[in-house]
Amino acid sequence: METTLIISALKVVGYGLGAIGPGIGIGIAAYGVNVATARQPELAGRLFTNFIIGAALAEALALIGFVLAFIM
Amino acid sequence: MDALEALKEGADHLSRSFNSGFVFGPVTQYTLWLAIVFVVVLLVVLTAAKKLELVPNNKFVNMVEYGYDFVCSDMGENAIGHGYKQHIPFLATLFFFILIANFIGLVPGFKTPTGTLSITWALALISFIYFNYYGIKAKGGLGYLKSIAPSGLPVGMVPIIWFFELISLVLRLLTLAVRLYGNMFAGHMVLGIFALATSVFIQAAIQNMSIATALPSIGWFALLVAMYALETLVAFLQAYVFTILSAVYVSLATSEH
Repeated sequence: METTLIISALKVVGYGLGAIGPGIGIGIAAYGVNVATARQPELAGRLFTNFIIGAALAEALALIGFVLAFIM
Repeated sequence: MDALEALKEGADHLSRSFNSGFVFGPVTQYTLWLAIVFVVVLLVVLTAAKKLELVPNNKFVNMVEYGYDFVCSDMGENAIGHGYKQHIPFLATLFFFILIANFIGLVPGFKTPTGTLSITWALALISFIYFNYYGIKAKGGLGYLKSIAPSGLPVGMVPIIWFFELISLVLRLLTLAVRLYGNMFAGHMVLGIFALATSVFIQAAIQNMSIATALPSIGWFALLVAMYALETLVAFLQAYVFTILSAVYVSLATSEH
């Protein structure tokens, strides 16, 4: 009983640890997009598209952690 | 103690309401809402298509046309670029379907079909097969396999990079499905928990006959409204992200380099 509780708690902790990196990464990407848009507002559309792509790639790691927390 | 019991019961009820129980026969509640979304999408698009004019005055037609134009310019022209016209029907179908499926879940009492992994998995699989098909069509089977690794690498690096790129290619299927599912499921769960917290404090106030007990529910209700606004944004954003990522994957698969 206690072991299963510890294991299921550790899964959530593992997902939390896995979400740190993508969180920082997406934060940096959003910072870059905001700065770039402020400098050159006419590029906003394409910058946002590129931001979405970059965020999706970084987010993939967090999503894999999310899936692993369920299936392990 | 009654409030805590009510909270526990409510939490159980909440998590049960996300299970895909059978409504009738083999039809689960998500399948039912999937069919309803199909009907709504068809109604929206067909009524707009019936009233097409050169200068539309109808607000509804204008709205649908704006959505289609958004897919054409923002996802087609910006993300795919040259030769985007043949992919527009696919992207527009995907966008309208996911958008309406996400928004229908925001109506209280309704379920979002994208809140279950089975349906987002199917959508991701459609997108995955679509961009691989067009990649193979554009470059041929062997050429497509070769083009997974970016060109201009040193010869020794190519197999390693190719292997990692292949993994990231296959993971696109997983991330497309889980991103949509995770956002919709977690969003509705948070909304449910805030609504539950609001109702628990009001119930306790009614039982104890004291107004002061009900005061925390005002804060919870304010949080619920704020989260509702955020979820409305997320519902649109996830439809946009899913479609634009499909567009980007198509452009990566078909581009020449």
